[in-house]
Amino acid sequence: MTPTADLRERVVAFVAHLRLTHGFRVGPGEAAAALEALGAVNLGQRREVLDALRAVLTASREEGRLFDLAFDAFFRLREGPPPPQLPPLLPETKAPLSPPPPSRQPGGRPGEERPVPGSAQAENPEEGTGSPSSRPNPDREAEGEPGTPARILTARLSPHAGAGGEVDAPGDDLPDLLRAAGALVRAVELGRGRRLVPRPRGTRLDARRTLRAAARTAGDPARLRWLGRPRRAPRFLLVLDGSRSMGKSATLLLRFAQALHLRSRRVEVYAFSTGLTRLTPYLRRAPPGGPLTLPDLGEAWGGGTRIGENLLRLARGERGRVSRDTAVLILSDGLDTGEPEALSRALRDLRARAGLVVWLSPLAALPGYQPVQRAVQAALPHLDAFLPAGGLEDLRALGRRLRR
Amino acid sequence: MTEPSAPPDLAAAFRERGYVAGPALVTALRLVVALGKPLLLEGPAGVGKTEAAKTLAAALGTRLIRLQCYEGLDAQSALYEWNYARQLLHLRAAEVGGRPVTDADLYGPEFLMPRPLLEAIRQPAPPVLLIDEVDRADDAFEAFLLELLAEWQVTVPELGTLTATARPHVLLTSNRARELSDALRRRCLYLWVDYPTRGQELEIVRARLPGIHETLAAQVTRAVHALRELPLGKPPGVAETLDWAAALVALHRDHLDAEALDLTLGAVLKLREDQLLARATLGKLAAP
Repeated sequence: MTPTADLRERVVAFVAHLRLTHGFRVGPGEAAAALEALGAVNLGQRREVLDALRAVLTASREEGRLFDLAFDAFFRLREGPPPPQLPPLLPETKAPLSPPPPSRQPGGRPGEERPVPGSAQAENPEEGTGSPSSRPNPDREAEGEPGTPARILTARLSPHAGAGGEVDAPGDDLPDLLRAAGALVRAVELGRGRRLVPRPRGTRLDARRTLRAAARTAGDPARLRWLGRPRRAPRFLLVLDGSRSMGKSATLLLRFAQALHLRSRRVEVYAFSTGLTRLTPYLRRAPPGGPLTLPDLGEAWGGGTRIGENLLRLARGERGRVSRDTAVLILSDGLDTGEPEALSRALRDLRARAGLVVWLSPLAALPGYQPVQRAVQAALPHLDAFLPAGGLEDLRALGRRLRR
Repeated sequence: MTEPSAPPDLAAAFRERGYVAGPALVTALRLVVALGKPLLLEGPAGVGKTEAAKTLAAALGTRLIRLQCYEGLDAQSALYEWNYARQLLHLRAAEVGGRPVTDADLYGPEFLMPRPLLEAIRQPAPPVLLIDEVDRADDAFEAFLLELLAEWQVTVPELGTLTATARPHVLLTSNRARELSDALRRRCLYLWVDYPTRGQELEIVRARLPGIHETLAAQVTRAVHALRELPLGKPPGVAETLDWAAALVALHRDHLDAEALDLTLGAVLKLREDQLLARATLGKLAAP
C-alpha cells in the first residue's frame, strides 16, 4: 500500500522529531527507508505501521522503548490532549536490570523491560518508585529532628540517607588523570587474542604468504612466513561507589572514570549507592575539558552503601559482557551496610569470568590502614589486587602497580 | 537479480513450521524481504533468534547459509580460502613436467574454497544468510562486514571483485556480549526479541510438542516463567522450556511433581548455583 502525501509528510516530520527531541541518529536515509517500509505493510493496521517504523528507526533496545512512547504521542497530535512531555533518550537509559518505566505493562511485547525480583527495587517497592528527592524519606526527616544519638546514627547508616541530586565533579586535573588512565590502559595485559595476524615471528605458518613467496622459487618454500596472536586490548568495567562515605574521593574517581573512558572506548562505568546506575551514556555525552556534571543519579549517588547487592546485580546483568578481556575495577571504601555473603558471591562470579578483578580503596591510602571492614574481608579472597586510591598519586601509580 | 518474494501470510508459514512468531518479528522479517536490508536481532540467549532465520529460509523455500562468529574470526575464514596444499602440488607437478606456471594457473576456481559469505553472494536465488552471534566477533571483523552489507560485493585480490548474483536476506543475531558499533546498527533494521509471554510460550510448547499433556505444558510454562523472575545466572530460554517439556514427555509424565523435577532439572537450569537457588520456588510449583 502506498502512503498518501499527507502521511509521507507526517513520517518525515516524525523522523525529524525523533532526531531533534530524543537524540535518535536518524536522517533523510532513515526517512526514505521508513517510507519504503510503509509501502510494504498494511497501513490500515496501526500495529503493523508501528512495528515497521520501529524496525527502521531504532537501533537499540533503549531506543525501542522510547520510540513506542514517542510514536503514541506524535501521532495523537492532531486530536485529543497535548502529548506528554517525554524525557530525552540518554537520561532514559538505565542499568540493564533497572525496572520498567511505570507507564508500560509488564511482559508483553518485545522491547519491554521486565522487573527483576530479588533486586533492591523488587524487595523494597518504595525504592523503585519516584525520584529519591520526591518520595517521602523517613531517614532524611529524622536527620532534621533534634534526635537522639541512636536516631542520628540510624540516619547516617541508613541506606537511603541523603541520596539524589545532581552530581558535580569539578576539577582541573583532567590532563593528569588522562596520563594515569593511559598508563593503566597500557599496563593491563590480559593475554593474547585469538585472531592470527602476519608477524615476523609467530606460532603458525602463514600458508598464503609462504606460498606467494614460494611461487618465485618454483614451489620451493625457501622463506617461511608466520602468523601470531596480537595482544588483546583490555575492556574495563568500572564500578564506582557513590555513597556518602566516599566523600570527595567519589568525585575524583568519577573524573578518573571519565578520563579512562576518553582513553579507551572499551570502558563501561557503573555507579552504586543503594541502587545501581550505568554511567557510560552520561560520560559519553560529557564534553571533555569542561566541568563534569551528571544529572540526578538517584539511588546510585550520595546515599548509603549496599556493595554486595549491587555488585551481584551487576555480575548477573553484565554476565554476558564480562570476559577474559575484561578488567573489573571496583572503586569503594568498603564501608557497607549490606550482607558480605552477597558481595562474596558477586565477586566469585566476576572472578570466574573476568581477566582481572581489582579493588581500589581511598581508605587504603591512609597510613596504618588495616583491611578490617566486613566487605573488604569478604572480597579479599576473590581479588587480584587491593590497591590504594587516595589521590592523584595513587592513580598515577596504578598502571605501574598492576604491571608487577 | 532475482525478485524476492515472501508468502502472503508469513506468520502462518512460521506457525506451520512450529515457530510462533510475534507480530513485530513477522513485520521485521517481511521488511527484510521487501526492503533488502539486513535485520539485527538482539535479545537474551534462547529466545529463538537463530531459529527465526532457519524458519525464514524454510518459509521462503530457500537455502540457509550460516556464519557462526567467534573471537578471532577473520575475513579469510568467513569469505574464502585457497587450497594451499593443492596449489603446492600443482607447482611441484608443473616444475617436474617443465611447464611454466602463471598466476592464473595457480589461482583458478579449482583452488578456491568458498566460505559462507562468498557462498551466499554466489547463489543463483537469494538465500537466507545468518550471521550468528556477531557480538562474539571482534571490531575488525565487524568493520569488514559493513562493506559487504553495503555493497554486496567482495574483492578477492587474485580474482577481482565478485558482485552478488542475488542479494541474500541477511539476519544478524547478538546476545549483547559486547556493544556493536553504531555504523553496523544503522545499516540494519533492528528488533529486540524478548522472552515470550506465558500464553505465547504455551502456544510454542503445544506447536513443537503436539502430543504433550495439557496440564504438563501449562505447568512447565508456569514454572519457567517463575524461574525467569529469579536472579539466575543463566535464565532459561525457550529452547530450555522445550528441552524440559520434551524430557518430561520422554519420561511419560503428564504432570510436574517433585520426582519429575528432580530427574529433569538439568534440562532447564544449567548452573549448580541456579539449581540451588530455584529449588524452593520449583518445590512450591511442583507441590501436590
